[in-house]
Amino acid sequence: MSWEVGHEFAEQIYSINRAKLKSYADASGDQNPIHQDETFARSVGLPNVIAHGMYTMALAGEAVRSWVGSERSVIEFSARFAKPVIVPKGEDVAISFSGKVAEVAGDQVTIEVIAMCGGIKVLNQTKVRVRL
Amino acid sequence: MAVHGPELVGRRFSSQRTCIASAQSIKIFAEAIGADSRFTPPTFLISFSVAAAEEFLPALGFDWSRVVHGDQRFLHHRDIRPDEHLTYSSEIESYKNLAGNEFVSIRTDFYSVESADLVSATWSTLVFRGEQS
Repeated sequence: MSWEVGHEFAEQIYSINRAKLKSYADASGDQNPIHQDETFARSVGLPNVIAHGMYTMALAGEAVRSWVGSERSVIEFSARFAKPVIVPKGEDVAISFSGKVAEVAGDQVTIEVIAMCGGIKVLNQTKVRVRL
Repeated sequence: MAVHGPELVGRRFSSQRTCIASAQSIKIFAEAIGADSRFTPPTFLISFSVAAAEEFLPALGFDWSRVVHGDQRFLHHRDIRPDEHLTYSSEIESYKNLAGNEFVSIRTDFYSVESADLVSATWSTLVFRGEQS
């Protein structure tokens, strides 16, 4: 498989909700109540329960693996948490991931990922380097 | 609130603990993010990275109830083997205080107990929000 710099991958959309935040909290061990308890989240100045930034980053990784194949080794993966993903009770919240090849070097390709939720960019400087 | 400064940069912490990338915990993590559980998700080590930081930052006066995650990077030298045991050590690579918010960047290196090689390094910037924010 080979791609050229500038190649754009098909957008991936993942839907999250409160139950999925609970699953992620249990799987990752991050039980911070801002990701599960609306009363607590509001008490610390948040608009509502927010998703774990690392959950959004994990989904960005999943988007990349949907593009390149889950069996490929991710060598490097970085992201900056720009804006929270707000998850109101009873709602499914869509996060969309688009990706573009930024660099090709030997058997490695670097993909830049854009993560959007409700028209807002939620991750910044998201790059994934994969061995093909 | 404890006052910290740039003297924190370069401080290293070697944990006496090991963490285990158990096949079961990899599977649970993969399923939680909707991933194919035959492969270790590239962000799987995050719980160990954060736990490593939590072993020493609160003792330095950082208030864990005010922490948010600023950025994250993983460098995987190879794939983790299921059930692999890992030792880890951390270093504070940068410290900034911006308008009362403290930005601490920590690198944690994970070594295999079995083969003694460096498996992965992770970089986490943790932001400790000041009282006024």
